Amino acid sequence: MVKIENLSVAFDGTEVVKNVNLELKDGEILGVVGESGSGKSVTALTLMGLVAETAEITSGRILFDNVVLREAGKPLDKALYRKYQGAEMSMVFQEPMTSLNPTQRVGRQVEEMLRLHTDFTKEEIRAKVLETFEAVGLRDIEKVYDSYPHQLSGGMRQRVMIAMAIILHPDLVVADEPTTALDVTIQNQIIELLREINTREQNAMLFITHDLNLARRICHRIAVMKDGRVVEQGKTEDIFQHPREVYTKNLIEAVPSRMKRRVSVMRKPMQGSVSGGGAEAATGAEMTAGAKNAGGTAADESLTSVLQVRNLSVFYQDGSNSLFAGKRRHCVVEGANFDIYRGESLGLVGESGCGKTSLSKAILGMNSDITGKVVHGSIRPQMIFQDPYSSLNPTKTIGWLLQEPLRAAGKLDKSLAMTKGDMEAAAFDMLHRVGMEDKYFHRKPSQLSGGQRQRISIGQALITRPGLIVADEPVSALDVTIQAQIMELMQKLQQEMGLSYLFISHDINVVYKMCDRIMVMKEGKIMEIGETEELFRHPAQEYTKQLLGAS
Amino acid sequence: MKKTNGGKWNKYLVAGLLMTGLAVLLGIVGFFWTPYSTTAMSASEKFVGPSLYHLFGTDNFGRDIFSRVMQGLSTTIVIGSLVVLFSASIGILLGALTGYFGGILDEIVMRITDAVNGFPSILLALVLISILGNGKQNVILALGIVFVPSYVRIVRSEFIRLRDADYIKRARLMGVSRMRILFVHILPNIFSVFWVSVMIGFNNAILAESGMSYLGIGVQPPDASLGKMLSDAQGYLQTAPWYALAPGLTIVWVVLGFSLFSEGIRRSQYG
Repeated sequence: MVKIENLSVAFDGTEVVKNVNLELKDGEILGVVGESGSGKSVTALTLMGLVAETAEITSGRILFDNVVLREAGKPLDKALYRKYQGAEMSMVFQEPMTSLNPTQRVGRQVEEMLRLHTDFTKEEIRAKVLETFEAVGLRDIEKVYDSYPHQLSGGMRQRVMIAMAIILHPDLVVADEPTTALDVTIQNQIIELLREINTREQNAMLFITHDLNLARRICHRIAVMKDGRVVEQGKTEDIFQHPREVYTKNLIEAVPSRMKRRVSVMRKPMQGSVSGGGAEAATGAEMTAGAKNAGGTAADESLTSVLQVRNLSVFYQDGSNSLFAGKRRHCVVEGANFDIYRGESLGLVGESGCGKTSLSKAILGMNSDITGKVVHGSIRPQMIFQDPYSSLNPTKTIGWLLQEPLRAAGKLDKSLAMTKGDMEAAAFDMLHRVGMEDKYFHRKPSQLSGGQRQRISIGQALITRPGLIVADEPVSALDVTIQAQIMELMQKLQQEMGLSYLFISHDINVVYKMCDRIMVMKEGKIMEIGETEELFRHPAQEYTKQLLGAS
Repeated sequence: MKKTNGGKWNKYLVAGLLMTGLAVLLGIVGFFWTPYSTTAMSASEKFVGPSLYHLFGTDNFGRDIFSRVMQGLSTTIVIGSLVVLFSASIGILLGALTGYFGGILDEIVMRITDAVNGFPSILLALVLISILGNGKQNVILALGIVFVPSYVRIVRSEFIRLRDADYIKRARLMGVSRMRILFVHILPNIFSVFWVSVMIGFNNAILAESGMSYLGIGVQPPDASLGKMLSDAQGYLQTAPWYALAPGLTIVWVVLGFSLFSEGIRRSQYG
């Protein structure tokens, strides 16, 4: 069906894909898995004839149904590709918002495929589009047909994209991270849909992802790529059961898996703060029982609360910045009650827009439009952000960044003021704690990798020794191996410094690995709080079951 | 995507630096010393053409034009720099406050800058001069005020862009004071953008000063100014073309050199 033979692709003389061999049979789903920069996307784009013209094929060739599509040394044959693109092979992209034209109704955009490749009449085209919409599980198809992309949700847009990709029944569908931009529950539905389409149409599918778990759920075979090479290739279960390469092993281990014992289970209570080994388990049970009004039942005196949230509601002002336009006030978090105890990690999960971020902002004191009560320790909670590239001031050195919180604290409270030498010593100490060497002290963030930046970010949050850290998707912007390192670091620091985390994530596996308790939010309300194992085994709410089952 | 290529040299930067460097050097030297006195007149040496003795020739009073160009350059550069210094400092202050805090102050300042932008800048400077009176200081003040809005707008939009950056949120969370956030945390981040507008502003200031001196409301005699020389030379275009060409080409030289220089810097920063 599709054969990629010894393919190498270079940009400006640098090879980003090196001697790649891949074969794809009819009805087969092949997963190409790798971290960013591994060459997986370039391989797919080259196959599709969509790679930039500056890319040069330095060796090998690509065969499609025994026709040579591309060959080393030959430029892209646009006429040949036009024949195949859409009709024989099609692609689903990661970001459904930017791959649909915002100024055209989606029905028209899907029709375009038929108008270009078939001689159907107007009525036939419309009927075919509606039929395909139905086949990809869209409801209210007539309405969707006349909608603009921005009127559809992310999941619906991705379904439209898939409809567009399969409407001509192509033999090959390339899906490049098709679910990465979506919420977990939607992600699940889209994966199911792709599998279903594959079974029904018996087409070949090239599934590109950085998420090994996702690939495991849908792919028949998997190829693991690293630095432009395919390092391992084989049947999905073989790869998981007997990975041959160290890199593949690392990848599999890096993925937080529920089969593995959680680190936090082994975590013993902090000296002096919590007495009795069973304290954490006790909390868990209590919380599950107490569910929504857990706060009121926190009776165990051996637990020290680092955060108490009582009947907290958060509001959000809608409307423009203009002087005259009216403003609407929405309630985005409604009557939240919970505690976070010393040394524990509380996971906060829910789909985007459920109020996770608003709740965390209110806890941090970044949102003043609230009712209810938030009580925290004498040192204000600090935050770790998602994007390591925008959370460090690019004009400062690492040393300066690590000392700034101390300077600020010293100015706010004279008793906390430190000498220059002490601050510098503290900054060096923190640099070591987050696993970085002295030489980085005088560097700027632009000279650091994403993982290193996130380490500095953590150091910056911890240097004033706050009891509580709010971590908003702290690892979701990172590659899986780096993810594992950062999570390990966070757990190490938690033990060393007796920290508590409020850990916000949409990645259930990450939350499972990191957290002692989990709090589920939906539409501004806390649905359920419970000890992690307990919540996974016996979720009290249907919504929790859905959310946890999705990934 | 913007990409730094590590402050590499390019031909814009080299050409701009050479042209600007020569002009600034002549201006600085001209401030302290000129080959001939700029005021000494000599009836016998009227309208001598360019030669090794008088590089740019002499004028209708027999004064050495090269010496006067050197002095004019120093006047022009001093005025240009002071105008930029004045308008950029006020621009940073107002832009930072309005951009970061927004609100009623922002509305007021922005409406005023809209009003100022509604008039041609040179016209507004003329009005200000007619109120303030002639003289170097007043030229600087008038041009300085006229150029403030352009800086306010640029600084304001950068502060709006950065006030919600994660690292600024984090600084707020640490309890860093607002003034420190404005001027220590945000300000250094806007310099790459601000620098370009300072360069352009400097050129505009030089052109505006020359224009005003040409019209006779700028620098007053006996101080030499390139614009004033150009207007004096007007009557002798036929008989002594070098008289007009010397200051005219000098203005072109300075402005072109500086444009190349700023373009070179921009390119070396963003590839």
